Amino acid sequence: MSVLSKKEYRPYYFIAPLLVFICLFILLPIVGTLFTSLMRDVTFLPQKFIFLGNYSDLLRDEGFWRSMRFTLFFIAVAVPLEMLLGTAFAALLDMELPMRGFLRACVLIPWAIPSAISAKIWQLIYNYSYGLANFLITHLGLSQGPVNWLGSEGGAFAAIVIADVWKTAPFVTLLVLAGLQAVPHDLRLQAKIDRANFAQIFFRVTLPLIKPVLLVALLFRTIDSLRIFDVIYVLTNGGPGGSTASASLYAYKYFLGGDFGYGSAVSVLLFAVAFGMSCLYVKVSKFESEI
Amino acid sequence: MKEESVKKLLTTLTAVFMIGFAMTPFLYMLFTSVNAKPDFLEAGWLFTLSHYRDVLGADSLHFLDYLKNSILVSAAASLVTVFIASISAFAITRLEMKGKLFVLFFVLAVSMFPQVSMIGYLFKIMTALGLINTYPALIMPYIAWILPLSLWILVSYFSQIPKELDKAAIIDGCNEWQVLFKVLFPVALPGIFSTLLLSFIFAFNEFIFALILTTDFNARTIPVGIALFEGLHGQIPWGQIMAASVVTVFPIMIMTLVFQRHIIGGLTKGAVKG
Repeated sequence: MSVLSKKEYRPYYFIAPLLVFICLFILLPIVGTLFTSLMRDVTFLPQKFIFLGNYSDLLRDEGFWRSMRFTLFFIAVAVPLEMLLGTAFAALLDMELPMRGFLRACVLIPWAIPSAISAKIWQLIYNYSYGLANFLITHLGLSQGPVNWLGSEGGAFAAIVIADVWKTAPFVTLLVLAGLQAVPHDLRLQAKIDRANFAQIFFRVTLPLIKPVLLVALLFRTIDSLRIFDVIYVLTNGGPGGSTASASLYAYKYFLGGDFGYGSAVSVLLFAVAFGMSCLYVKVSKFESEI
Repeated sequence: MKEESVKKLLTTLTAVFMIGFAMTPFLYMLFTSVNAKPDFLEAGWLFTLSHYRDVLGADSLHFLDYLKNSILVSAAASLVTVFIASISAFAITRLEMKGKLFVLFFVLAVSMFPQVSMIGYLFKIMTALGLINTYPALIMPYIAWILPLSLWILVSYFSQIPKELDKAAIIDGCNEWQVLFKVLFPVALPGIFSTLLLSFIFAFNEFIFALILTTDFNARTIPVGIALFEGLHGQIPWGQIMAASVVTVFPIMIMTLVFQRHIIGGLTKGAVKG
């Protein structure tokens, strides 16, 4: 039984402000976007209800499908890299190291910096004539000549992936580290006594135990990558030739151009995918035990 | 033992790679900001502080305006958010109420929504209210946007505080507000501080709302300001951009170093459960 009884207090007053803010500034805009997606809503033209007109245009819009393909391909490449690197860093930080706190904070810093600012730094790193990336690869002999990072399709894709992994692997590290530290120490000790080597302990004992945390991190990173915007907006703005426009950026460009109806239709489709995935996320991470 | 030394070598290599990977961009940012030209790697160093003088002195660049906007908007949004989230977390962990699990899951799902599915209509709302390019146009959506995270972290902290504590307070004649502010708040202070810190970072880093809801230095925040930074003379002014980035980023770095325990504690509480 709860400490305070129901009759005495009205607990819903306490959560009312929370719900008001979320309804007004998140749900209302989403419902509004849904309605707008059924309209012809272009600056300087009278609004007109066209039902699924925008959606039928979308189906035939090669640019839209390209942005969807890019987004999914980006997730397929970036998220596994983030998971791998993040988990490797976490395994390292879990060990007895000198200056562990400092190391942990260093890993955390890329996450704490606004991604628009770090993307700007990456843009300079990728500069064709004097950037750090080309300086390093030519001086280390990794490449014959400078790479056209932001001006070629493959280069731009790689550039975005690297900048994004740099920014988000720390998040995976923190989650996995928390999971690792919850693994009982005796278990690993026992495995060591049983003459298991380092790799065996990690893959056979530790990994299965942190599987739930890995799953949460994986889903979270996937959903977050689905809406990638800042890094791409700054690094390539969708170029070259629209090859790196994510779904979010594609919709944004229609809003920017004053076509709210069509931009909304793109957003609604993206939202539908994200919503499905977040339901899965909520289901996978079983939270009830805590409350 | 052979395995031990291999392990030690691997550990050292990974640690070096990790630090290099995380820190190199910041060193590069720092070096570019104090060089006359961005091509110093090939052309050689030419030390100067002129970029800092420009960024901090030239009013036409509006860098200090962007920074001020960011700090004020993030501070206001995170303070209000933490207040609202604390009273909600109090109700969810302490009061008898139907649907508290629904509220938690609903809020969690909301935090996963893509921001782009809100910006078009949000822009229309703010235009209709005449709020485009003002602080409230940013603060209000920011509060809604950060609330889910704050709520989850605080629910997690509050549920660790023994319920006997508020039982005793009630017997002593406290009402629910007194239980919240005189009993729970002092005990949960480290958790509330973590939440405040994280909320501030989230608001400070937000990009897409600020991009679409502000038009100039009167409300534009620093991430957008730096992303759209244009020099006085056409060419990309890398030195100035990096100087501006250093001034923005260093306080965050120091904050992260000093409060890393709080940040990590809050972040993992908000995301991993059970």
